[in-house]
Amino acid sequence: MIALFWICAVVLVVTGIAVISSKHPVHSVIALIVNFSALAVLFLTLNAEFLAMIQIIIYAGAILVLFLFVIALLTIGNQAIELAPGRLSFQAVPSIVAGIAALALLFAGVRGAQVGAYQPTPSDFGLVATFGTALLTTHLFAFEVTGFVLLIAVIGVVVMAGRKEVRF
Amino acid sequence: MGIAQVPLADYLTVSAAIFVIGVIGFLLRRNPIIMLMAIELMWNAGNLAFAAFARHFIDMSGQVFVFIVITVAAAEAAIALAIVVMVFRRRPDADVDEISVMRG
Amino acid sequence: MEGYLRTAPFTILFLPLFGMIVIALVGPRVHRIGAAVIGNLSILGAFVLTAMLAWTVWRLPPDAQVLTVKYPPAWAAHPQFWAHIPPLTISFELRIDSLALVWMLIITGVGFLIHLYSVGYMADAKGYRTFFAYMNLFVFTMLLLVMAGNFLWLLVGWGGVGLASYLLIGFDADRPAAVLAARKALIMNVIGDVGIMIALFLLYAHFGSLSYKEVFGNVTSASQSALNWIGIWLLLGAVAKSAQLPLQTWLPDAMEGPTPVSALIHAATMVTAGVYLIARAHPIYDHAPIAATTVAVIGCATAFFAATIGTVQYDIKRVLAYSTMSQIGYMVLAVGVGAYAAGTFHFITHAFFKALLFMAAGIIIHNLGGEQDIRKMGGLARRMPLAFWTFLIGTLAISGIYPFAGFFSKDAIFDQLLASHHPVLWAFAVATALLTAYYMFRLLFLTFFTGEYRGEHEPHADRSFTMMIPTVILALLSVVGGWLVLPGHDAISSTLAPAFADSGKLPRMGEINWFFTSIATLVAVLGFGAAYVLYQRGAEIRVRLSTALRPLRALLFNAYYFDTIYHWLFEVPALTLASDVARYIDPEGVGGVTAGVARAATGVGDAMRGWETGYLRRYGLSMVIGMVLVLAFYLYLAHGGIAAGMK
Repeated sequence: MIALFWICAVVLVVTGIAVISSKHPVHSVIALIVNFSALAVLFLTLNAEFLAMIQIIIYAGAILVLFLFVIALLTIGNQAIELAPGRLSFQAVPSIVAGIAALALLFAGVRGAQVGAYQPTPSDFGLVATFGTALLTTHLFAFEVTGFVLLIAVIGVVVMAGRKEVRF
Repeated sequence: MGIAQVPLADYLTVSAAIFVIGVIGFLLRRNPIIMLMAIELMWNAGNLAFAAFARHFIDMSGQVFVFIVITVAAAEAAIALAIVVMVFRRRPDADVDEISVMRG
Repeated sequence: MEGYLRTAPFTILFLPLFGMIVIALVGPRVHRIGAAVIGNLSILGAFVLTAMLAWTVWRLPPDAQVLTVKYPPAWAAHPQFWAHIPPLTISFELRIDSLALVWMLIITGVGFLIHLYSVGYMADAKGYRTFFAYMNLFVFTMLLLVMAGNFLWLLVGWGGVGLASYLLIGFDADRPAAVLAARKALIMNVIGDVGIMIALFLLYAHFGSLSYKEVFGNVTSASQSALNWIGIWLLLGAVAKSAQLPLQTWLPDAMEGPTPVSALIHAATMVTAGVYLIARAHPIYDHAPIAATTVAVIGCATAFFAATIGTVQYDIKRVLAYSTMSQIGYMVLAVGVGAYAAGTFHFITHAFFKALLFMAAGIIIHNLGGEQDIRKMGGLARRMPLAFWTFLIGTLAISGIYPFAGFFSKDAIFDQLLASHHPVLWAFAVATALLTAYYMFRLLFLTFFTGEYRGEHEPHADRSFTMMIPTVILALLSVVGGWLVLPGHDAISSTLAPAFADSGKLPRMGEINWFFTSIATLVAVLGFGAAYVLYQRGAEIRVRLSTALRPLRALLFNAYYFDTIYHWLFEVPALTLASDVARYIDPEGVGGVTAGVARAATGVGDAMRGWETGYLRRYGLSMVIGMVLVLAFYLYLAHGGIAAGMK
């Protein structure tokens, strides 16, 4: 079990780095799909079966396909992107420094935290039924608002679809 | 998959690592699609943390929140990609640094 | 009876104020005569009520003749004070005693006559209604001054009459001379107000109260030097208000106001407020010999000084103004040596004949279309008989010719001066009387005689009854007014005695010392004679004399150059300072500060604008840096310090 965790962890990190460092967007998308899959496995180890399925179906199955379509719209051929040098000075180094500082702090926070001992979970933890009950009773309001958010997104996309190209 | 002897801290460490990778990716890359994918990475890191906490504290609220995050992430990805398409239509060398209309 | 005595003073006091408010509210909607009617009726009503009140009070037994009326009344369920600043309590209280009643009668009586006179005199003026409103305001504040029961309300009335004077002198605001004169009068009056305020502070410091009852009741509890200082500061106020040395320069300029204003305010009533103050504060002056002597000296000096100046002026109203200054000097001199009854007596007779003189002069000025220069008059005795005869009566009265009013009151003063052992002052007073007779008859001759009419305007005969009737009434009073004090029958002293019961000095007047009285009369006749000789007979003598004395004449004509001295001593530095501040300090100093604040705000905004570059990744970086800082801070807090923490 622990081995599975650590394998997934390594996959997550490696693919994450691959996502952000690929020259071609399609390569990034493939890496991201692998990333999502490893994450789904981790969800499974956390007694979150329903979430794992959702992750694969929605995230990997719908959103990343959307990404692929958009890449298809933007890209002509398989030339690399970002050939021109960046315009912003003093962006790279401070970014990396800030990122490493954030990582260090987060590590410090996580490692120094006093959490209680591990408890075994009830048998229905993470099942779809339990999840549905929690979603529609305790967190009903959030559920409704989320529906509203989706509605706004749909409207926004429909509005924008009809517009001509925007030039800056 | 019942017994998890992996301590909470390890999950959180992995989550932190993915998050920081996403942050650095967002700040260093200039292609808008890649930046959006970095944002997805950050969301996933958060989801992992939430699910780990839900498991550790035996509270379904964490998992519900993951669900909601995924939903909102989907909506946001749709909108953001629509905007990207509108701004950078048919340009493989899309660069966010060319857009500084909100200056000042 | 009790209720009447408690309410009548308030009615008298507030009737003119009420009249003013009615004129202000209703006046503009009706014909302008409505304002005149309201004004006159309110003052007449006040006079009638005052007369009734006086008649009631003077029939009470002497020790009941001092009324203290407070508002709110004792039976009202209301705190008995107007202001309470611990430990000082101030009430709205009025004190009605014989002194106040005498002043009230003159204010409302002569005031009413002048109001009546103004109906005709101001007929051509614009702002007719406003004039009567202002006059009512004046009467109200003057009544408040004399009726006040504590020093604070005295000060309120004091300032109020100063305001009314300012408004009325500058009534014709189109004329710059009038506006400047009003300003000058106000500034000098304010100097006096400061003096009174300091006296108030000292009174509170030494007596803990501003009420007459408490101050005068315990006047000996303060040291004599304290009382002297209080007396001196009160004298400063009196000097300013009564146009005595050294604050006298505003009174001649105040003649720029309309003649009724000059008659009422700057002759009969307001300028006597200083005399009233000293008489009212007599317990203080009785125990402060230095202050009292200072009062007397200033009064005497002013009387003489003003009389000398009056001999060479050629504006009718200016001569009368200096004459007023001189006669007030007599009154101040009298109360300075403790002759309160004599001073009050002279106040009464002076109110009669000075108002008369101003009214007669006003008739002349009115008929000549505004001419005030006596060099351009002459030969008017036959053309304006009423003006001539009344003016003659006034001149005789002021010169102290028997049996007119001025004779008795001046004789009373001279008598008291000798009785209180002030021979030097007596000598100067008599010399002043000589000059008084001289310049008044000079004025009479130049205006009404001395050959043919020298002016340009054809005098038109005026048949205005409202102007003639008060003049005639005052002429009558100037004839009989002196008969209040006759040998063996002293109405004034006996009336005033209850008010001055705590003073040792209220000697009886009316005994005529024939030797000194004849000296005074002789002196007056000498003055008349000199004027007659110089202005009716010997033109050559006059010309030679005036050429020989030219430098003296210049000095006198320019009022000893007081105006010039004050201009260079005070006005020029003040104006220079003001203009420098306005030109340099204000735009660059004050303006610089405000502009600097604006520049700083803009600068900060500009500096912060650099943050908003418009680049998405920059914003992201700043967010991340912020996140790092927050994380660090939170960790620091959670682990209680940097030392603990990292495992």
